[in-house]
Amino acid sequence: MRSGLPQGVSTPPRHSPSVDEDNERLHSRERGLWGSTPGTLVLAFVFLLAFMLYYFVNWKLLSFVWKVG
Amino acid sequence: MTAPEFRTCPVTGRRIHRDADALIRANAVAATVALLVGGIAAVLVLLTRWQAVHLLPAEWFYRILTVHGMSMLIFFILFFEMAILYFAGAVLLNSRVATPRLAWGAFWLMVVGALMVEWTMWTGRADVLFTSYVPLRAHPAFYLGVILFAVGALVVTGIFFGTLVVARRERTYTGSVPLVTYGAATAAIIAVVTLGHGAGIYIPTFLWSLGLMKVDPEVYRMVWWGLGHASQQINVAAMVSVWYLLGALTVGAVVLNEKISRSAFVLYVLFINLASAHHLLVDPGLSPAWKIVNTSYFMYMAVLASMIHGFTVPAGIELGQRLRGFGTGMFEWLRKAPWGDPGFSSLIFSIVVFGFVGGITGVTFGTEQINIIAHNTLRIPGHFHATVVSGTAMAFMGLTYYVIPLIFRKRVAFWPLARIQPYLFAGGMLVFSIAMTFAGTFGVPRRHWDISFAQAPFDVQFSPAVDVLIGTMAVGGLVAAVGGGIYILITVWSVFFGEPIEAREGANAVRPTPGGLDAPAPFPVR
Repeated sequence: MRSGLPQGVSTPPRHSPSVDEDNERLHSRERGLWGSTPGTLVLAFVFLLAFMLYYFVNWKLLSFVWKVG
Repeated sequence: MTAPEFRTCPVTGRRIHRDADALIRANAVAATVALLVGGIAAVLVLLTRWQAVHLLPAEWFYRILTVHGMSMLIFFILFFEMAILYFAGAVLLNSRVATPRLAWGAFWLMVVGALMVEWTMWTGRADVLFTSYVPLRAHPAFYLGVILFAVGALVVTGIFFGTLVVARRERTYTGSVPLVTYGAATAAIIAVVTLGHGAGIYIPTFLWSLGLMKVDPEVYRMVWWGLGHASQQINVAAMVSVWYLLGALTVGAVVLNEKISRSAFVLYVLFINLASAHHLLVDPGLSPAWKIVNTSYFMYMAVLASMIHGFTVPAGIELGQRLRGFGTGMFEWLRKAPWGDPGFSSLIFSIVVFGFVGGITGVTFGTEQINIIAHNTLRIPGHFHATVVSGTAMAFMGLTYYVIPLIFRKRVAFWPLARIQPYLFAGGMLVFSIAMTFAGTFGVPRRHWDISFAQAPFDVQFSPAVDVLIGTMAVGGLVAAVGGGIYILITVWSVFFGEPIEAREGANAVRPTPGGLDAPAPFPVR
């Protein structure tokens, strides 16, 4: 990365020469549920877990404020 | 000899219209000035809310809080979004700007409106906070200034739509508009609705401030939030467009599926304004049915849109990286990403903090029952600092590191500082937002000058944990302020005193494969 120039300007990202074959392979059915972007799928589940946890804690807090019975 | 109408960008290969170039520069500079004013106000507010310092007297606290809200949420964000509209319209479509003279007129109208509002706020004529709830009365120039600013912004959105028509008619592109332009168009559509609400409430309030008519406070709240929250939805649509843009520029991210991404943008247009109802959840005049329908059903359609983008943008980055050869294991694409490129690090921090902190807290507080315990506590500003500051402002900062070389054609000054700036800003804001949210969980009120309630007829004791949380919030806020200050220094220095770059220093006119900047998408999902 040249000083003062972001990488995307000094050396713009280019896909590998075998981009079509790579793309075909990444979208192959053999990859199953993980698909072409397995890393993002893992991160999405981490997000959903955090979501569930925070949502549950808030309902728990609400139950302290408005007690039933 | 007159200057040529267009120049060709050496990196993206796009033809850039002279007026688009100049308008982007002017709006970006105005946005940075607004950020500086709002940033100074932010530090003053922070040092007052930090009970151990408690810097400002009550009168100045509310004055500066008003300055902070208006300068950041309206002037900084909207000036920057106007620059994005010129970029996404004229630059990405290789088109000229429709009606450049009117565009300059709109820009100066916005500047005059912003100056009027700033004058009334700094001189104590508008201590009404960002919401300016009736019956708090400001000087008429405050309302008139907001109206002028909003009209200017509305004209720019009209010029954006006009530019789309010009580009189509003059065949400057083929196929559908690029995804980034499509996203900017949804932001512009939401802007029209938002600014319509602004005119709908600020014109009668202006007349009220002159003593010519009455304004019902409850009606004011309902219509005003059509502006107040919806203006933040313009941010969301613009921010997501910037995510796609930065992904393409920094790592050659591809668009996973054009139809899905475009449908998600449409969900914003249809449902995001209804989410404004969550500001009225504890208002007594509105029926429970209305509140529940808006916040327990319609709001989630807008949330769905954000969750779709929250998946497709990182997935596009992952796929782009894998297609560049970083495909080993689960996370090589992330490990070998250009973390020293401030455009990329800003993009990732914007996605993560917006989603994990801003998104999760926002959806949770949007539930009517939970809103009862969160409403008017520090949890709310904790949420929106994670969305608007860590999300939108961070994304805009990342984009600036590309605007400086691509539009201003200057090197980014203080490069080593630029590389760490996103880490400082995002790290500080993350600590700030989380500490603020948890202080609110302990019941600390928002917008309050003195939470010790000194000299009040009643006594309110908070948990001792609140002192720790407020102190942590202050430290995080100060670190973020340093990050924001560095950003302003870099931007101003680069633009006005920066070293020009020569054309051959760019990408040697070799274009990357930027998903979202062209149509059709190069790699659709099968």
